[in-house]
Amino acid sequence: MHTIFARINNTSALLSSCMMALLAAIALSSFVFTADPKGELGLLSVKVYPASAAKKVYPKQELAFVNFNVTADLTPLFHWNTKQLFVWVEAEFNNTKRAENAVVIWDRIVRRKEDANLKVAGKNKYMLRELTKNFKHAKPAHYTLKYNVMPYVGVLTYGEAARTKTPVEFPPVQQRV
Amino acid sequence: MFADELKTFRRLGLRHVLLQLLNFASVIASGLMIWKGLGLVTNSESPIVVVLSGSMEPAFYRGDLLFLTNPANQRYQTGDITVYKIPGADIPIVHRVLETHDDKKKDKQLLLTKGDNNYVDDLELYQGLQWLERKHIVGKVRGFLPYIGYVTIAMNDFPQLKFALLGGLGLLALIQRE
Repeated sequence: MHTIFARINNTSALLSSCMMALLAAIALSSFVFTADPKGELGLLSVKVYPASAAKKVYPKQELAFVNFNVTADLTPLFHWNTKQLFVWVEAEFNNTKRAENAVVIWDRIVRRKEDANLKVAGKNKYMLRELTKNFKHAKPAHYTLKYNVMPYVGVLTYGEAARTKTPVEFPPVQQRV
Repeated sequence: MFADELKTFRRLGLRHVLLQLLNFASVIASGLMIWKGLGLVTNSESPIVVVLSGSMEPAFYRGDLLFLTNPANQRYQTGDITVYKIPGADIPIVHRVLETHDDKKKDKQLLLTKGDNNYVDDLELYQGLQWLERKHIVGKVRGFLPYIGYVTIAMNDFPQLKFALLGGLGLLALIQRE
């Protein structure tokens, strides 16, 4: 009854159930924070160039190059259960012939509240490309700024902070300057 | 040390041993049932996974536990964190979706992924495939619990630990009185 094993067993059972309850409470508490911050996303330029297949794994295709502006104050998303934000800019566009595309062109990991007030003038980090390998049939694209709140424990949540007001057209392909 | 235990063992007899074995079996069976039940509800072959690599740091570290779902009627979106398994590769990979292309001609969604901590996308991990498809994907990450899965990593790294733990548990189950 009062063996050392029984004592160890009881204490560890109590500790682990307390721990579980605490973790569950923390995970549930983040549903109370329903901040939905909005920012702005502006496009400065879009250009399309043919890319030579420099790396063998990627096919020969047309790539779009985008310059953009992001201003968004995402500090309200930081609460006690926010480990980090994953913020990204993506282009969403249709192709009359074949596909719906969504392509992430830029991202950033925000780990501190102090860094969450974003003011970025950037260009795409990742290739902006189309499934058919050219932008001939691509319709104008919507650009959006989205975020993923990653918790210390619990559920991952997603949101959209900004969207270009009107879709932006892809210009005709240019030869390299 | 074990003389005492042996004596009680003899006193309680075979029936008790069988009962304890049955108990042990039912614990294992109910564990398996819960696992498979979860798999049915989440539509994922493995609804809980342990992070094995550092390619999603600082979001996920080795040993973190991830809870997955994979609803059949939901398309994948950019920013979703998926767990995928390429045929021929032995371990599943946890990476974020970078590109989605809904191909109307083939009626398929084509995906490209990238680890947050990697500089380049996963194309070279796909073993010759151009795109990832639904059939490769185990699930997308919905929930997160840190560190708990480290036990399994420790057990993989030090197999002796696994046997010691199993053996100890089995022994306890057999000789415990209540």
